[in-house]
Amino acid sequence: MIKVEHIVKKFKDLKAVDDVSLEIKKGEIVALIGPSGSGKSTVLRCIIGLEKPESGSVYIDNQLFDENNKETYPQLLRKMGFVFQHFNLFPHKTVLENLTLAQVQVLHEDEQKAQEMARKYLDRVGLLDKQNEYPNKLSGGQKQRVAIARALCMKPEVMLFDEPTSALDPEMVIEVLEVMQQLAKEGMTMIVVTHEMGFARTVADRVIFLESGKIVEENDAEEFFSHPKSQRAQDFLKKVMH
Amino acid sequence: MSALVNFMTTDNLLFLLQGAGKSLLLAACALFFGLIFGILGAAAKISKHRILRIIGNIYVELIRGTPMLLQILFLYIAFPVMMRSFTGQRFIPDPYICGAVAMSINSGAYSTELIRSGINGVDKGQWEACKVLGLSYGQTMKLVILPQAFKRIIPPIVSEFITLIKDSSLISVLGATELLYSAQILGANTFNLIPPLLMSAVLYLIMTLATSYLARRVERRFAISD
Repeated sequence: MIKVEHIVKKFKDLKAVDDVSLEIKKGEIVALIGPSGSGKSTVLRCIIGLEKPESGSVYIDNQLFDENNKETYPQLLRKMGFVFQHFNLFPHKTVLENLTLAQVQVLHEDEQKAQEMARKYLDRVGLLDKQNEYPNKLSGGQKQRVAIARALCMKPEVMLFDEPTSALDPEMVIEVLEVMQQLAKEGMTMIVVTHEMGFARTVADRVIFLESGKIVEENDAEEFFSHPKSQRAQDFLKKVMH
Repeated sequence: MSALVNFMTTDNLLFLLQGAGKSLLLAACALFFGLIFGILGAAAKISKHRILRIIGNIYVELIRGTPMLLQILFLYIAFPVMMRSFTGQRFIPDPYICGAVAMSINSGAYSTELIRSGINGVDKGQWEACKVLGLSYGQTMKLVILPQAFKRIIPPIVSEFITLIKDSSLISVLGATELLYSAQILGANTFNLIPPLLMSAVLYLIMTLATSYLARRVERRFAISD
């Protein structure tokens, strides 16, 4: 489904991502974990083109994902949904409008159908009653659930989550994770950059552990948490699991 | 005091009110077209293309760096000469149209900076959200960035409008009977400039204060999504 080949991304002199290659199959749930500054978010952002890597390529369904290719870019982009750490809802639009905007503008759905679709996904994240509110009236957890619903409205085949719970108050984390868990159960392909080790362990099929822009360990999730192979992963887990 | 009372005839007041109406109309035209120029100018200034950025910069610096009175005179006097040398036909400019165009171009330079700062003030995450949803640059600008940018620049746009109401008095040099020139005409007729000048000051104040008041109400309405 997604193939990343030898991505290098520098910020000034710092190699944020240093020759990373990975592959995600359809239906798979992969957790990208690692200490902060390890480049895990940058990898995710490179996949969808929010960062331009200095070298390396991204393939979606075996097609090169390239913003300059006007034919393939829109249709490949459409296969991916992205959820940000800071939600990035449109503050001047109501919840419902947040969900219909891209459907109407990008997928050329008519307003009626877009609203139906929006309500369906709002219901699924449990926020149908907030459809006419502005984002500033929502809690962090609710904003993130709306953001997930907004991404789902575009019918993506794979969802990318960039630290979706890191900006939330602790008591809001669970409601977002539950939505993601539900999505996982329904067979959605997911790449999740996360600090939630419990979530990575129970929901992810596979864990990719990065440090200093490199993949240090790639392992079956259960295996990674019970018997990490690399010393650095062992050290990291010792610090974060209490 | 009696001069002021004597001045307050219906005819005189109507004459000044007409002038005030023209001033307001000039300012409104300049604001409207100025905002359009401003959007274009801002788009040029934040463009990826270097040439567009240079054009945007020249526009802003040229207009902000020269007096508006000079720009008005230049457009009124030099433009017809240029038209004549191109088309060979005599071209008599209308002082109102000429004034409105000059003021629009002038206001556009200030609006360019306002809108640019407004656009830059919108969170980068908004661009990113649009990009991953597949919105084009134009759609992103029109539907997401500009509405948010405009909301935060309403107060400076209002003060730009107030400036324009006052600056419309400069068009009097072209013989347009906007508010100030109307007052001068009445002053010349009655051999006393003070009453008409005082009255026109009152009318300017009414227009600017009303604008401020309306703007505050609009701002409050927009604040719903803050």
